[in-house]
Amino acid sequence: MKKELQRNLVRTARTTTLYILVAGVAMVILFPIYFLVTMSLMSDFEMYNEWPLPMLPSFSMSFKLQNSQKGYLLSIYNKVDNTYLDMLDTNDTGYIINFVKRKTNCTLTREKLNEIIEELKNNSKVEFKLRKNFLLNYTLFFRLKKDAWPAFLRSIYTAVVTILISLSIGGMGGYAFSRYFFKGKNFLKLGVLFVRMFPAVATAIPAAIILGNMGLYDKPIGLAFIYSIGSIGLTIWITASIFLSIPVELEEAAQIFGTSKAGAFWHVTLPLALPGLAACAMYAFIGSWNEYAQAIILTQFNPTFPVVVFEYVLGATGMAHLATAGGMTLAIPAVIFYLFIRRYILRMWGGVRV
Amino acid sequence: MADLKLENLSKRFSRKVWGVKKMDLSVKDKEFLVLLGPSGCGKTTTLRLIAGLEEATTGNILIDGVDITDTPPRKRDISMVFQSYAVWPHMTVYDNIAFALRFKHLSKAEIDSIVTETADMVKIDNLVKRYPDQLSGGQRQRVALARALAVKPKIFLMDEPLSNLDAKLRVVMRTELRAIHQQTKATTVFVTHDQSEAMSMADRIVIMKDGVIVQIGSPDDVYFKSTNVFVAGFIGMPPTNFFTVEIIHEGTDIVLKHPFFELKLDNERKSMLYDYSKRSLTFGIRPEDITITSEKNNLLKERALVVEPQGSLQIIALKIDDKIVKLVSAREHTVFPGDMLFLTFKQNKLHFFDIDTGERIGDL
Repeated sequence: MKKELQRNLVRTARTTTLYILVAGVAMVILFPIYFLVTMSLMSDFEMYNEWPLPMLPSFSMSFKLQNSQKGYLLSIYNKVDNTYLDMLDTNDTGYIINFVKRKTNCTLTREKLNEIIEELKNNSKVEFKLRKNFLLNYTLFFRLKKDAWPAFLRSIYTAVVTILISLSIGGMGGYAFSRYFFKGKNFLKLGVLFVRMFPAVATAIPAAIILGNMGLYDKPIGLAFIYSIGSIGLTIWITASIFLSIPVELEEAAQIFGTSKAGAFWHVTLPLALPGLAACAMYAFIGSWNEYAQAIILTQFNPTFPVVVFEYVLGATGMAHLATAGGMTLAIPAVIFYLFIRRYILRMWGGVRV
Repeated sequence: MADLKLENLSKRFSRKVWGVKKMDLSVKDKEFLVLLGPSGCGKTTTLRLIAGLEEATTGNILIDGVDITDTPPRKRDISMVFQSYAVWPHMTVYDNIAFALRFKHLSKAEIDSIVTETADMVKIDNLVKRYPDQLSGGQRQRVALARALAVKPKIFLMDEPLSNLDAKLRVVMRTELRAIHQQTKATTVFVTHDQSEAMSMADRIVIMKDGVIVQIGSPDDVYFKSTNVFVAGFIGMPPTNFFTVEIIHEGTDIVLKHPFFELKLDNERKSMLYDYSKRSLTFGIRPEDITITSEKNNLLKERALVVEPQGSLQIIALKIDDKIVKLVSAREHTVFPGDMLFLTFKQNKLHFFDIDTGERIGDL
């Protein structure tokens, strides 16, 4: 009985330690993401005037307006320190409206301000609450960076073309490596990986010259070509192992039962390889969507979205909330793509059960 | 319903490696032909050549007199059951069976009736909505069979279809395959390395070795009139026992001299050796043709080494001249390891083979 208790205790201690470890690792991974999301929803005031940074963005802000010698004194409630901070002393009501919007992402209408000023005639101070415009950072980001939206579209175009090129060429390559024997097969297969050993930034310079000669410099399609080089190698390696795990007999059976060789590939191999291809598509997408080192060199007037965000992050002193909004905009399509492709990857990831 | 003809068919994989070498074979209409041989003998290559999955190096393949050597598989009017079943895992059983039919532009109702009919025939009619990974090995085998039957091919090819099944199911499927063949009367080429499977199913057996046909004949032919040492040793379970003996002429008598026994031949056996001039030969005797006898008219005596009871029979292994010899006897009196046995050979069941070439001497 005593022994059993001891064994239970040890087991519990062991599982608890494991869970704590796992939770710790998860925290390390998830915490930056959490901060990115919350910061992108915060206003300038929350970002810079509340310290330590609040864990959650607030939905509304509290203000206090007082009469002052100059005109009106505007204070904003700081929920961390639990006090009102004096922010602005002016008699320009237009400036107050503008300031509230810029500083706290809240919209103070002219009528509301007039009401408050009317109230001020009887009271020494008026406290009021305004709802925060949650997504103002995002709209502001796109309004401030005029080239952000076209760059966003260019990025999507580049990513789609990269996926198409690397899946078609890489997939065919992987199929050839898995199904056929030819001279120098292993050499070629390793060579494909070898290409990836060179840093992208270094190869970007010759790539820029080549693209320039081809007339594709500063064009998304040229960028897609360059991105494809890297992802084709990865696609070949992934698809080769996927195709290897699909028995040749399945194709042969299809050939006997009414299709050509290409038909067998289309009806049998492709559907079975779909999870692997989906994973490759994801790698190609991420490789293209998140890339900016090459994009900086290979584009000039038509940058991709990561370049725009990168520039903004660099030049965003005092505007971190807008920069994080840009970062989130960069992340969202990737997340959507992931959600879309998830079911294909989950279906049979790691091979085919026959 | 069709006949199949292979003419001078060869498949060369590389300079020195031949899959099949100059093969001539004709399969009659409605015949159940079994290609039998050890692994690597070219039987599967032959089947794949017929299916069109391999390209012939030389020679022709004819179905009903039409040369199909260069025809792609789908236009050959054949169907095949693979060793690994090759049932498509991403399709339901129904779709697996209907796959080929959809390429034939049949109407939905026609496809439906054919699928139901064939699924019925192989007893998987209650499984048609399932996916292959929800089926057992035996059921997948039946799906593969139904898929092949559904197209009503001219030639039905089977590549060791039973080798992945457990022993009991294998015996059941043998009988069912035979029954289906009798029902459909499709010309069938069946590949196996299991001689008992071949013996129990075939109309004719083709025994292959190193890409060449060694013997073609009915199961009885290959068993009782094995053309050489290889066939005699390959067919039968346990296999034929071989003895290398010296031929001694004593007046008009011929005596086969072995270190452990001397066998005096009767007249009929003697006549078989008339044309044979070498000094020694190999003879084979099947396990059931060695009989246990009394002490006084024994040919040789030896202690039993191992006894394997087989129900009504027993397989007794003993060592003669450092070689394991096996014999099968009825269980009238059970033998135990270490028992002294007095043995004799049935003379009319002796098979003589050339000492050098291993070819059969004399005709029965």
